[in-house]
Amino acid sequence: MTDYSVVGKPLPRVDGIAKLTGQAKYTTDIVLPNMVYAKILRSPHPHAKIINIDISKAEKLPGVEAVITGKDTRGIRYGFVDTPTYPAEERPLAEDKVRFVGEAVAAVAAADPDIAEDALDLIEVEYDPLPGVFDPEEAMKDGAPQIHGEITRTTSCAWEDWGVARKSHSYTPVNNVAGRVLISYGDIEKGFAEADHVREDRFWSPATSHMAMEPHTIVTSYDPFTGKLDVWLNHMAYELKRYWLHKTLEIPIQKIRVYQTYIGGAFGGKAVIFDFEVLAGFLSRKLGRPVKLELTREEVFSSCRNSIRFDTTVKTGVKKDGTIVAQQVKVIVDAGAYKGSAAVAMFLSHQFSEPCYNRRNVRHEGVAVYTNKNFGFAKRGHGAPQNRFAVDSQIDMICEDLGLDPVEVVLKNLRKKGEVLPNGDKLESYGLPKCVQLVADAIDWKQKRGKQRDKNRGVGIGINGMFSGSGYWPFACAAIVRLNHDGTVTLMEGDCEFGQGADTTYSQIAAEELGLPLEDVNLISGDSELCPMNYSNFLSGGMFVGGGAVWYAAHDLRQRILKVGSELLKVKMEDLDMKNRSVFMKAKPEKSLTFGEILRYNVQKHLGDPLIGMGYKKAVPEIEFYPSLSKGTGRFTDAYGLAAATAEVEVDRETGRVKVLKICIADDCGYEINPASIYGQMVSQAVMGMGDALLEEVIDEGGRVINPNLVDYEIPRAFDVPEIVVLNGCDYEPKGPFGGKEAGECARAAVIPAIANAIYDAVGVRVHRVPITPEKLLNALRAKEGRG
Amino acid sequence: MEIAKKILKVKVNGRPYELLIKPKTTLLQLLRSDLGLTGSKQACMDNSCGACTVIVDQMAVKACSVLALQVNGREVATVEGLASRDGKLHPLQQAFLDHHAFQCGFCTPGKLMSAKAMLDENPHPNEEEIRRDMEGNLCRCTGYTQYIDAIKVVAQKKEGAK
Amino acid sequence: MRDFEYLPTKTIQEACSLISQYKEEGKVLAGGQSLITLLRQKLISPSCLIDIKGVSELDYITFDEKKGLRMGALTTHRAIEKSPLIQSKYPVLSDMEKSVASVQTRNWGTIGGNLCSADPIGDPAPSLIALNAKLKIVSSREEKTIPLEEFFTDYFTTLLEPDEILTEIQLPPPVAHTGVVYMKFSTIEAGIKIVSTSTSMILDSDKQTCKDARIVMSAVAPVPFSARKAGELLIGKKINDGLIAEAAQLASEETNPTSDVHASAEFRREIAKVLVRRAVKEAFEKAQRA
Repeated sequence: MTDYSVVGKPLPRVDGIAKLTGQAKYTTDIVLPNMVYAKILRSPHPHAKIINIDISKAEKLPGVEAVITGKDTRGIRYGFVDTPTYPAEERPLAEDKVRFVGEAVAAVAAADPDIAEDALDLIEVEYDPLPGVFDPEEAMKDGAPQIHGEITRTTSCAWEDWGVARKSHSYTPVNNVAGRVLISYGDIEKGFAEADHVREDRFWSPATSHMAMEPHTIVTSYDPFTGKLDVWLNHMAYELKRYWLHKTLEIPIQKIRVYQTYIGGAFGGKAVIFDFEVLAGFLSRKLGRPVKLELTREEVFSSCRNSIRFDTTVKTGVKKDGTIVAQQVKVIVDAGAYKGSAAVAMFLSHQFSEPCYNRRNVRHEGVAVYTNKNFGFAKRGHGAPQNRFAVDSQIDMICEDLGLDPVEVVLKNLRKKGEVLPNGDKLESYGLPKCVQLVADAIDWKQKRGKQRDKNRGVGIGINGMFSGSGYWPFACAAIVRLNHDGTVTLMEGDCEFGQGADTTYSQIAAEELGLPLEDVNLISGDSELCPMNYSNFLSGGMFVGGGAVWYAAHDLRQRILKVGSELLKVKMEDLDMKNRSVFMKAKPEKSLTFGEILRYNVQKHLGDPLIGMGYKKAVPEIEFYPSLSKGTGRFTDAYGLAAATAEVEVDRETGRVKVLKICIADDCGYEINPASIYGQMVSQAVMGMGDALLEEVIDEGGRVINPNLVDYEIPRAFDVPEIVVLNGCDYEPKGPFGGKEAGECARAAVIPAIANAIYDAVGVRVHRVPITPEKLLNALRAKEGRG
Repeated sequence: MEIAKKILKVKVNGRPYELLIKPKTTLLQLLRSDLGLTGSKQACMDNSCGACTVIVDQMAVKACSVLALQVNGREVATVEGLASRDGKLHPLQQAFLDHHAFQCGFCTPGKLMSAKAMLDENPHPNEEEIRRDMEGNLCRCTGYTQYIDAIKVVAQKKEGAK
Repeated sequence: MRDFEYLPTKTIQEACSLISQYKEEGKVLAGGQSLITLLRQKLISPSCLIDIKGVSELDYITFDEKKGLRMGALTTHRAIEKSPLIQSKYPVLSDMEKSVASVQTRNWGTIGGNLCSADPIGDPAPSLIALNAKLKIVSSREEKTIPLEEFFTDYFTTLLEPDEILTEIQLPPPVAHTGVVYMKFSTIEAGIKIVSTSTSMILDSDKQTCKDARIVMSAVAPVPFSARKAGELLIGKKINDGLIAEAAQLASEETNPTSDVHASAEFRREIAKVLVRRAVKEAFEKAQRA
């Protein structure tokens, strides 16, 4: 392994000083002259017609600048999914009816937030409640209330804008079906017929909140003279937000500038465009003044996107040695009032499991159903956590049925390095077997598994795979590296820093490629005006695609510098190297030139060329557009991150309370550009996975979220954290920068089944619904005792 | 009904201020809006998260749940006052930097102030004491481990200095 | 938050005079750790806050061998937690305070404010009831002392009149062979309490027979209460595991829990049984060692 100077080192974060001194500006910290504050009135009903909205009293309140309703925004549509078959259906304000508790009904802009809130109380909305439906199976029955009528197209389809000419049309959902997925390969019936043992089990995962520390906030500032809209917001890729602001507000895309801000955590929950963001833009343009809209924590819990509710039935057939010969997965997604990313999640729950096991004959079927609830989006794994909880729990059950060891069965079924998946993705790097072995050893699997029932302790295992970016508009990430007069460089790349370490990692990549120390890379990131295109981070393509583009740009500049150096020093390019702002001859280091000298010479001798490197990367070079999500065909990603996790728990049999003693994670991220950063991602996922397994659920009653605050929705605190061991299971990925690929989104889905399986090992009961709360576990224990 | 504003005299990061404010102003609002010290953050609405933690007369308090007028005549320390004016980081800030004790950074000012107050009162806490005293500071990004390590390092250094 | 008048005061006399002026329109503000949240969420909108945090004469912890403990209502949770006096004479209180909310809340919030907010899952009340606490309440009209257990009348409701102020918490002096324990059940360490109990046991000089026992239950009814039947079962008897289990069963039957997002009523009753059993056993062992 090459000895690097900058990558591979746990260098301090480049955004550290700003964050540690309180100087870092998050959207909530942005204050502009003449700014007004907006608040949103939300529906208290899960399903109702809007008969009338009287805003007259609100408008008259001193300090109120504007009050708008669905009349003002009628026809505006957006959504994560906007395809020829499925037009965008979300809207900033409800029009003729409301479909979930929390749907935006009106918005107010006022001199201060208190006045805006008081104005909301003065808006009189007359509703005619309609029967609601809250269970997807009920919603699919004939006669159930229909949540959507005809979904019409109001603008050109996003696909058309993105260059894919395909006839698009309106449609009407039938039986509240929001989307379907059917992926199959092999012969599922034949597979089951060949199996020695088959079992079918059902598992449920609820909606959980990302609970990023920063509540969603936006500041918009429309300049009526230039028609430009300046935006500061929480996001995970500015391209997506800017595209939809352009589309919904009909402002030319290049007149919208997303400024760099620090972002207080995302985990998937900030990627899509939201009602309040369109409204802030709308109000700013209406008033010609800056508008700030901050959601309360309660709004984040109940009206922003939470993770997707999955009801998963897995049927798996194995040989008596545990080899999987067939697997059928049936998913019902309780989508909520709008599609969100329900259909995408169903597809991903299949595709993320593809690099894990060779299942030979597969059928993955899913239906997403509208219900009168808040709807969902990706949360760190987007379908994988839900799927792995089901699939890895069942593997554990199969092993118990057949008297086999789960670690051995897991290893037996893993894919092989170099294997080509049914959809065409190739596993050029594949560290999963190593990851499994590492976590099994680290938890003392052989000594502990099945041997600690007397102490009510147990160990369990889970695995997962994760893409490293995929195709999404604008389909490329690009970067520019500019050589400065003093030999430092300025890196311009559009990725946003929401805690995941992008700023630091990309700077390290550029620094390494150019032989510079980290502090010699000046970074301009996350600004749509100053940076070239970027979209990757919300698709887990930060390292592989965004980082790849940075590497190419740095490499481009490196080659340009070496070329000039070669000309000046009269030496072949391959005989040169660079370090500390200088180019030198490898064999005779004293024969050197500074970057500054090379720059000056080049400007003088080559018509003013100041040496700028440019790079770009597509997630999957071979494909032009999307894979078919509904059929799962076509290339998806060029590299998979992989992870395995084991957990040890101790159960208090009398109360059902679970104490997690230890979590081990081994991750294959190809190469750890910043090991401390990777460690942080793994610990984060261990704790988040623990929260999913034992604690977290957005609970609703009749469609209303009844725990929209931190007292009633608990997340792990400092004292709850068990011993966490993080191990390096990396397998060099040749297509990634320095071998790197996805890192921050894989392990969480492995931790959840690890804990669930550990509970089974400890006390012999299995709970099929997460979170496995003390009450659920105690009930399961009592039920088992009752059965003798 | 026009509520009378009240005079508040308070020292913030060593600097004296005299302000005329509405009684309903919380300490957090005072810091962020009136004084432009946006380091302390609001992440919840129910006194649960600790992102607004500042130090009042050596005590860590949540600024969102303290009326500004209640600190009349007192001294308030925020994250902006931790580093020295010539750009030298406080040992806690340095330790956080060295140990990657933050990611998104939103909860970090609150954590730093909680940790400072804890170490000023108890210079040698053991790990259990650190975890318990940091209970009031929620974090979603880090999983807590790295910043507990950072605080331990500073605690040990203080010990070593003795 | 809605606007309000702000009236700080430095003496209890002035506080009483102000609150008798404003009555229902005004609210007394101490640490504000419960009050400010209610104001921010617009659950209450008083027109005036009378800030008594500056009344230093109400911030004290004193002990007398004959009279016992006297704590001013404005003593902070943190002061109780750290007080060497409390740690030695009433260690259950300092242990309990370690687990109240967070350090930040404990630094500014007061014991008086906590009791007056009458949160049914509040931490201090159960142990104080188990220790036979009394409260001194003053107004411009009169001064009175009542047992803490009678103070709470319903969820978030006390029998404080609008013009009355809680000034002091009184505990009798500790007795030999006493063990007092506070135990709570939550899903995670510092999580919301699902059930809690404080049990006190006083043993005869033989260190086997129970002279007095109190089993106080919290989070399982609108107010914290003493499970009388359960406590009386133990008095005069030699303590053993079977008896403790019976008492726990009784205590559980005396609860009246509700179901909410955290737990069902049935689960709370189950946990109450387990918790009381463990707490009584621990109190017994502590009393034996005392």
